Amino acid sequence: MACILIVEDDRDLREMLRTTLIKRKYIVSEASNGKEALLRFKPSMTDLVITDLIMPDEDGLKVIMKIREIKPSIKIIAISGGGKAGPGNYLDLAKALGADEIFSKPFSINDLIKKIEILLSPEQPY
Amino acid sequence: MVKKSLSLAIISEDLALLANLKRVVLESLDFVHITYFDSEFSFLADLPERKADVILSDQRNNSRGWEIFLEELHNQDNDLFTVFYVEDCGTRKIVDMIKAGVYDFITPGSVNRILPMLQKLLKEVDDKANIKYLSTEKNFGDHIANNSRSMLSIINRDYVYEKVNATFCSAHTIKTDGIVGKSLEEIWGKETFESKIRQNIDLCFQGNIVRYEANFDTPLFGKRFFEVVFRPIKKETGQITHLLAETFDITDLRHSQKVVYEMEEEFKRLETNLPIGFLRCDTAGTIIHANRAYLKIMECEDETLIAGLGIQEFYTEKGLFEIHLSQLLNTEVKTFGRVSLYTCTGHEIACRISGFLVTDGSGNPLFIDFAFEDSSRELMLENRLLQAQKLETIGALAGGLAHDFNNILTTISGYSELLLEEIPKSTPSAEKVGKIQTAVTKAKSITDQILTFSRQIDQEKIPVKVAAVLKETIGFIKSGIQGNITINEDIIKTDTLIYADPTQLFRVFLNLFTNAVQAIGENEGTISVKMVVVEGNIARNELNKNIVADEYILVTIEDTGEGMEPSIMERIFEPYFSTREMGKGTGLGLSVVHGIIAEIDGEILVSSKKDIGSVFSVYLPVAGGYDFINMKIDQNKTLLFISGNRYESKILSLALENTGYKLVFASNFNSFIKLVSGKNNLPDLIIYMDDSEEITPADLINIFSANKIEIPLILISDGNQLQTAEKILNLGMVKQRLTKPVSLREIHNAIQLSLI
Repeated sequence: MACILIVEDDRDLREMLRTTLIKRKYIVSEASNGKEALLRFKPSMTDLVITDLIMPDEDGLKVIMKIREIKPSIKIIAISGGGKAGPGNYLDLAKALGADEIFSKPFSINDLIKKIEILLSPEQPY
Repeated sequence: MVKKSLSLAIISEDLALLANLKRVVLESLDFVHITYFDSEFSFLADLPERKADVILSDQRNNSRGWEIFLEELHNQDNDLFTVFYVEDCGTRKIVDMIKAGVYDFITPGSVNRILPMLQKLLKEVDDKANIKYLSTEKNFGDHIANNSRSMLSIINRDYVYEKVNATFCSAHTIKTDGIVGKSLEEIWGKETFESKIRQNIDLCFQGNIVRYEANFDTPLFGKRFFEVVFRPIKKETGQITHLLAETFDITDLRHSQKVVYEMEEEFKRLETNLPIGFLRCDTAGTIIHANRAYLKIMECEDETLIAGLGIQEFYTEKGLFEIHLSQLLNTEVKTFGRVSLYTCTGHEIACRISGFLVTDGSGNPLFIDFAFEDSSRELMLENRLLQAQKLETIGALAGGLAHDFNNILTTISGYSELLLEEIPKSTPSAEKVGKIQTAVTKAKSITDQILTFSRQIDQEKIPVKVAAVLKETIGFIKSGIQGNITINEDIIKTDTLIYADPTQLFRVFLNLFTNAVQAIGENEGTISVKMVVVEGNIARNELNKNIVADEYILVTIEDTGEGMEPSIMERIFEPYFSTREMGKGTGLGLSVVHGIIAEIDGEILVSSKKDIGSVFSVYLPVAGGYDFINMKIDQNKTLLFISGNRYESKILSLALENTGYKLVFASNFNSFIKLVSGKNNLPDLIIYMDDSEEITPADLINIFSANKIEIPLILISDGNQLQTAEKILNLGMVKQRLTKPVSLREIHNAIQLSLI
């Protein structure tokens, strides 16, 4: 079964995501900030990363860039509750930096699950 | 009249003396004319005929005695200077001779004394002659006339010059006989005579003294101004036969008068137009004079209304002026800072006041001059800055709050979705969970608005025609309002574009209209919408910005509604500041409007009067730099972006995405090959940054040549990599070439030009 890393500083939200994903039979690992995420990230195991963007200790944009560098084939979903960095929206930046999908909080968990399924399906087109 | 020579008569029988005197005098003095007489008798006989100035009489062998000679001489001519040639004859005799009128003496031992004596005598004779000459009235008159600085002439009834003075002649560079006997018409020309002179002369001959000013061309100095006075000359019978014309050259006077006048006018203008109120008071503070700016600041229509009032009457704080006055009398110059004043119409305003004590030469106070600078705008700007800072702080706080809140909402919505999966559909429990989800949706819309207000949501900015959005909003509003409200539109026809998110702009206008409608309520009322284009420099005064755009679109929405108190007006852009009853609005409307406008570098201003209405002014910066008007965004165009630096290129491409083009990018050789090797779906334009290591210029050239691909290309190169740039340029595909660092605007421009 696919392995998903959740990077999110809000404990309740992280728990909700974990509960949902475990229910869908995914293997879930968690990190509460960017620094922890890079420690927990196992290139050989992890297939998909869900990351928040604004977090203490290394923000999500850096997580995306570094993980993408370590494992180019990784799928990344960025989630954020708003906020701006420079001229662009955080989420747009995340997409530009390599996130495959972006979700603006609050989002429908079912929509998220659907995207995860598409991203992890083997015949994923370019 | 000045005597240039001296006639010396010498009476002596001594031929040797004569010869000696002649030699001494004529060798040194060329102005002396000498005649000889051998006796007093021959001299006296000759005297009436030939006039001598000085007589030198040899008294050595005078048998008659000198007294008799002197007496006879004085009987004939008193003006003669008598010098006696004597042997040493004792002091007493000399004293007697002087008493009798002898001018001086020469002795055999002092013949040479005659030289200085004659020189002195020449002057005395000259003075004497002058006095004598001027003692006749005619000579005196002529003398004055010829030495006068005015041009004088006597004109007869036939308009002919009968007499002119020397000044007249020299000014006209003609001799007296060149003008005397000629008519004025001949001298001045027919036209000048008829138009300027004749009528005045005629008037003078009727017995009037005529004065007038005229300019004439003079041969020496060109055009000069003259004051002309004609005075009638009457005969004893009272008949006027001639007139005296006096003409003064007043050109210099005129000139200095003009300079003084101009300086005075200049000063007056300065004082009048100065944007600083100027007030002159006596030393007790009673107003003597006020300039226009002061009247304007004080909302006073007429200077006479305030003249005589004391300045203290304008002060809101009693007793303050007296303190200012005493400070001024001590220090002479003083700036008092901002002082609160009442205007003539009773408004309270703030002015910066400076005072200057004006004293006379000995330091006694004469006046006090005050300068008043209206600092209302300064105050207004300070206030506005304070408001902006407050909104910024609230924005940061609210934005952070919304961000955390979104996390919580995600958890809530996530669990409710999980719950829905677990509970059978169409049960009361499922319905309740559905309500939780509806509440989450509502909450999301609020956090969205807060994020917009705090400018933490990016707007998708594209070129927008404001008029179109505005008209759309008006149409929307019109369909919803009652008959009690009239909407007046005055929207300038322009293709000017701004850079904004049209849906957000719609939201701005909708909010402002809704506010206006609600302010009018059930009453009859009017909403006036106006749209104009204003220059940045003009708008600068209104805007609280350091850097202004070249142009702004200014949309004003004015209502005749209930208006606001200043204390409310100050706070309306704060989130959750609402004057409406709970439930009528979220209290976020205007704060969201503020956020949207701030995000596009615009500004919103409000002015309002209780029970009169409110005006909202929205300044939207006009998109500049490149011509949006002709910009056709073709959604079907695909741009291929090739760059070595992924981060840079993606941020750049992200911005380009906003323009509506379809963007693909290649960062490695394989993806590049894929994108350009297909026969179909080739990109329409390639943007190539020559820092790509994976796709080198050589690769580019090889692939394009091998596949015979011709796609317009924009080359963004490093300034020092000329060789590679040249190779690519040789391909013939390069439409535009940019040198790093490039701005988005430059790239945007280049795309426009390449796709034409």
